[in-house]
Amino acid sequence: MHMEKEELYTTAYMARLKLSETESEDLEKAVSRMLEYFEKMMEVDVENLEPTTHALLKDNRLRKDEITAKEQTSEKILKNAPELEDRFIVTPNVL
Amino acid sequence: MFQSFVGLEIHIHLLTKTKVFCGCKAEFGDEPNTNICPVCMGYPGVLPALNEKAIEMAYLVAYALNCKLNPMAVFERKNYFYPDLPKNYQISQFRSPVGTNGFIDLKYRNIKKRVKIREVHLEEDAGKMIHAGDISLLDFNRTGTPLLEIVTMPDLEVGEEAELFLQNFRRMVRYLDVCDGNMEEGSLRCDANISVNLRGKGLGKKVEIKNLNSFKFVRKALNYEIGRQTEIIERGGSIAQETRLWNENRDVTESMRIKESENDYRYFPDPDLPPFRPDDLFITNIKNRIVEMPEKRRKRFIEEYGLTGLQADFICEEKERADFFENTIKLGADPENTALWLASDVKKMLNRYSTALKGSRLTETRFFELLNLLKEKRIHGKIAKQVLEVVFKEDKSPVDIIREKGWEQITDRTKLSAVIEKVLKENSAAVQAIRSGDNKPLGFLVGEVMKTTSGRADPGIVHDILKEKLSLTFIHIISMGGAITGELTDDGTVVPGNPDIIIKQVEQKTGFSKKIRLEEISISAILSEEITPDDWSSLIFRVADLLNSQDTSGIVITHGTDTLAYTASLLFWLFPQPLIPIIFTAAFSPFTEKTAEKTSNKMSRSNAIINLSSSIEEAAHLSPGVYIYLDDRILSPLNLKFEKAAPGGFRNWNLKQPVFAGKPVKNVSQELFSRENILKKLKTAVNNTFLVKTFAGMRGDILIKMMDSGITNFILETYDTGTANLSESPYSLKKAFSTGRERGVRFFCTSQQETTIDFSRYITSRELWKEGAIPMGSLTAESVYTRILACYILAESEEELINLMEDTGAYTY
Amino acid sequence: MPEWDKILSNPEKFKKWKEAAVFLDKNIKCFLEFDPEKGIKLSGTGAPADRPETEPADKPLSGIPFAVKDNIAVKSFKLTCGSKILSNFVSPYTATAVTKLQNNGAVVIGKTNLDEFGMGSSTENSAFSPTHNPWDVKRVPGGSSGGSAAAVAAGLVPFALGSDTGGSIRQPASFCGVYGLKPTYGSVSRFGLVAYASSLEVIGIISKTVSMLKNVFNVMKGEDPLDHSSLPAEEKTPAGKTAKIGLPKELKSIELYPSVRKTLDSTIRNYKQMGYAISEISLPTLEYVVSAYYVIATAEASANLARFDGIRYGERDFSAENPEELMLSSRNRGFGKEVKLRILLGTYVLRSGFQEQYYLRAQKIRTAIRKDLQKAFESVDAVLLPVYPRPAFKPGSKEMDPFSQKLADIFTSTANLAGIPAVSFPAAVEEGLPVGMQLLAPPFAEKLLFSMCRDYEKVFPSPNPPDNYFNRSI
Repeated sequence: MHMEKEELYTTAYMARLKLSETESEDLEKAVSRMLEYFEKMMEVDVENLEPTTHALLKDNRLRKDEITAKEQTSEKILKNAPELEDRFIVTPNVL
Repeated sequence: MFQSFVGLEIHIHLLTKTKVFCGCKAEFGDEPNTNICPVCMGYPGVLPALNEKAIEMAYLVAYALNCKLNPMAVFERKNYFYPDLPKNYQISQFRSPVGTNGFIDLKYRNIKKRVKIREVHLEEDAGKMIHAGDISLLDFNRTGTPLLEIVTMPDLEVGEEAELFLQNFRRMVRYLDVCDGNMEEGSLRCDANISVNLRGKGLGKKVEIKNLNSFKFVRKALNYEIGRQTEIIERGGSIAQETRLWNENRDVTESMRIKESENDYRYFPDPDLPPFRPDDLFITNIKNRIVEMPEKRRKRFIEEYGLTGLQADFICEEKERADFFENTIKLGADPENTALWLASDVKKMLNRYSTALKGSRLTETRFFELLNLLKEKRIHGKIAKQVLEVVFKEDKSPVDIIREKGWEQITDRTKLSAVIEKVLKENSAAVQAIRSGDNKPLGFLVGEVMKTTSGRADPGIVHDILKEKLSLTFIHIISMGGAITGELTDDGTVVPGNPDIIIKQVEQKTGFSKKIRLEEISISAILSEEITPDDWSSLIFRVADLLNSQDTSGIVITHGTDTLAYTASLLFWLFPQPLIPIIFTAAFSPFTEKTAEKTSNKMSRSNAIINLSSSIEEAAHLSPGVYIYLDDRILSPLNLKFEKAAPGGFRNWNLKQPVFAGKPVKNVSQELFSRENILKKLKTAVNNTFLVKTFAGMRGDILIKMMDSGITNFILETYDTGTANLSESPYSLKKAFSTGRERGVRFFCTSQQETTIDFSRYITSRELWKEGAIPMGSLTAESVYTRILACYILAESEEELINLMEDTGAYTY
Repeated sequence: MPEWDKILSNPEKFKKWKEAAVFLDKNIKCFLEFDPEKGIKLSGTGAPADRPETEPADKPLSGIPFAVKDNIAVKSFKLTCGSKILSNFVSPYTATAVTKLQNNGAVVIGKTNLDEFGMGSSTENSAFSPTHNPWDVKRVPGGSSGGSAAAVAAGLVPFALGSDTGGSIRQPASFCGVYGLKPTYGSVSRFGLVAYASSLEVIGIISKTVSMLKNVFNVMKGEDPLDHSSLPAEEKTPAGKTAKIGLPKELKSIELYPSVRKTLDSTIRNYKQMGYAISEISLPTLEYVVSAYYVIATAEASANLARFDGIRYGERDFSAENPEELMLSSRNRGFGKEVKLRILLGTYVLRSGFQEQYYLRAQKIRTAIRKDLQKAFESVDAVLLPVYPRPAFKPGSKEMDPFSQKLADIFTSTANLAGIPAVSFPAAVEEGLPVGMQLLAPPFAEKLLFSMCRDYEKVFPSPNPPDNYFNRSI
């Protein structure tokens, strides 16, 4: 299956990838090659098969509704932010 | 003809301590970015861990919404990029949510309806993005707080209905203690989807509306959108499938212009979270946690405790209040009194101390004690109010309060008899006056007794003893004109009759010499067809006054035949539980001395004296209530119909049994009835209200002209043999409805026929209902009209007025 | 063999070891961050000089240094994932698996190189530098845990942590002549492992000896409250020498590089000699493994990597004028080509209209693969497979372009799709390059794998590359 340029750009935007001209040409080829290869899966009769969404399953896993976050955690996280104003994380928004 | 389909997507914040997938405090009012951790901030390498309380609450709500509980709840990733969504996917549910296929039963405009719930699913909330000039500020405290989304089917039709649904839903989640339901703070949020199409054509193009952060916005935005889409279709245009935003400043919806690819969320099961399979124990625990839902409780309170719809609404609004009410009843209190006190004096005190019922100084035990003191007549109403104030002020029990303050009422008849004996002796002039027929000093004597006992005497017992000692049976006749008290002149016109002659005639017949008082309300015209708000307010004021003074044993109101059905029902609405009989009577032709002489032929000439005399006798014996006495027949004031001007010309319609006393429109003390107040409100009511026969082929657009001249309430008489339609022409009510809705005009429907009509099976009426008309059950047009007048008089605010009016249809007799 | 538990505590030995490591790493470039002092401080064992050499090793891994693949979080160390977008990111927390090792005395000495976010089979896709194979620096060490495998092979650490999504531990272990364990899915907590394909991957171990492999696994395994997909490790009794080995008949028709075919045959022979029974089994779904694997892995990756947007952490394009541009541009600059390809592919296979055909079908095929293996394990105790169709190749080689590299994941990704444990062990040195073989076992049968590897180790221990710390330390 070949992927059209249009589809590639739509998909790239969905994934928030901005592709340059050369990049998109390479990727178009690479993606198409993989999609072609995936066609092989159409040979398999999947009629009576349930999908596997989780590798191995265990019974319900739940967490107690108790506060475990530590005080300093938020400070460390804010230190990693590229841009801050007071305690807010900032993004540009030029209209 | 158009049909609208409205579905809601409601999000509620669950009241858990921590976020849904991490151990951060689930509070978003704190300093920005304080309740955050690597998990909710979407750090590399972290994993979600499901909060057990959140999944419990999710199942609880699904169960309360009558959903099929999913044996396997799966969490999926909903993929979309947004700066406030740290992982750029939201953990939500898609193919296998917590619950599906539920419903809420709704009663809108008195018509029952089942609103289906498509699904209930648990997800995480995003953060907050604040726009500030050329930057945006991000606060992630809210990120990851548990959010439950409830999606309805498009079963709703108009904004008002959606608003009501949302209010019921909010009450429900508050009852379950899973959400505080605060729309302003965003803990309950609502998006709506709406489509309009030609009737019978099914769903149209779906438009989503966002930013509906109050009940009012939900209603306004939906009605705006119904109008907008209808207009486009009418013009032959087509609706764009899109997302729109409610602009609360301009009262319009605006397109959000979202790219189509944005709507492909690429859901897939989250491999980090194993599916949740509730076991039997889990489900049993959920079922045990379910409480009686507000609607059910409301219904039960009406049936079990005899509350009115409005009383039950008020009591069941908050679970805490309903619990308090019921606990008090369990201690032995009378339901009606309990409801009455909660809605009036207790509410006042709670407001004054700005406290909630729960945790206030008024416990159920204290409240019961107070009501019981009142019931046992150890205190009377006025003292009871004082005691309630002291409970709040000094934190003491009512019994202790009356003991300490010496407020206990004197009910001992021997003790009071002695006091009264003394008062009568000291006021011989007053006693003399009463014995000679002037009952005015009675009130003075009561006052003297109260003064002697420092206000502690039981006023009822004092009255009883006084009446006994002075052997008083006063019947008041109030003349409202009409043929019954008129006189026929030789040229055939009716003029006011001579009261003295009438009284003399009546006294001869009844033997109630000196005990009959004839008062004439100065009416503007002798003929009742010309009755005015002035006349009605004078009557209401006088009746209220007589009932208050307690010095009369019965009231007879002589009235013209033309408006008798109106005045009688008006009094019934205002005085549904009088302590004495109030009897209306009338005659088809006036009394003349000539007819009196020709006793052999009296029935053919006039029944005036006979009707009046018999009414007076009945007034001395009938149990309290409002009656019509005409030609040896007793009729109910409600649903009275004047069919023809001849004996037997009055009948009651659509009553299973006679009704002489009923439930109050609203619990009020009659102190409210000041004459000016009644007059002012009645004038407004009469000026604003219009009764319309909706006949087939009527020009509906004329109603708009009437709106222009100030009519805000239309009573629409509908007939199953042919009635106005809702097509797109001037000869339809369509335009009137849409214009009316924009202007806040109310429409009431009555099935103006002598059978009870079931609205739901009747196309045009259902259309009217859908357009917002309020069905008035089996009430006749006259009774609906006066009900509206009564609501105007009793309501203290516009909001209350609407509530009272809408409560009317709930009455079935 | 050096006395690993003394190296950090003896200042003299420490100095010598550190110098050797820095020197060797110049050639192989296995470390992205090398800072044993920081690791010592974190482990609470104190500076090397503070700890008396005589202190008894009360904990099973006391004083043992190890390296961690740079997609596993260690507090205070960087967590770059071999990506530009995280080039300056310092982890504020430690992965559960690492904490368990630290609590048992082991010391993190550095972070190892990898293919960006684990996407690759050669460690060429690291944004910083490729890693070279200690056996031949002109060849790749395999990937994506190439840095960890190279570090162990060069003798710089006795073991290193890696992650295995489709073979990322076993394949470099095979290329470098060391042991590589991909444990049962969920038996080691993923908390702290930067997710590539969550339902497939697991943290595992690359080591020089089987006993180290076993000791480290026993410390790391177990259910973690922070990872709800983790599982308590059930003990499966090993069959020992009576164990039956299954050999898929499909191997006959698959093209293998001569040295790999040769090693497969010699391995069968060796095991037979040791008394193991070999029988033929069938894995009819083997030919669909790579498709199913790449559909599922890229789909999950497209969501897992969405969080790297330059907003809350990581590299940001400051010239962007609005959030959308910021995300687009930061991601464009931050991700390498292979990552972009996989994100694109994964996004596409999840799109409405395509999801049924690709993603859903792949998940169903995954079920079929699991069933095939379940059936096989009814008659045999373990399955023998090559690790990779060929030994370590040269970077940029035509016959091993990125597409061919993906097809070559056929033997490793099977275990990931089924969630079962698999081990890669050195089986031969052919043409100067080590060749590994692979054993697969039912869920939680790691003990069986260890005992089978131990048996083979007695015949053929992990070979040493020409230049390594061992021959330097002697």
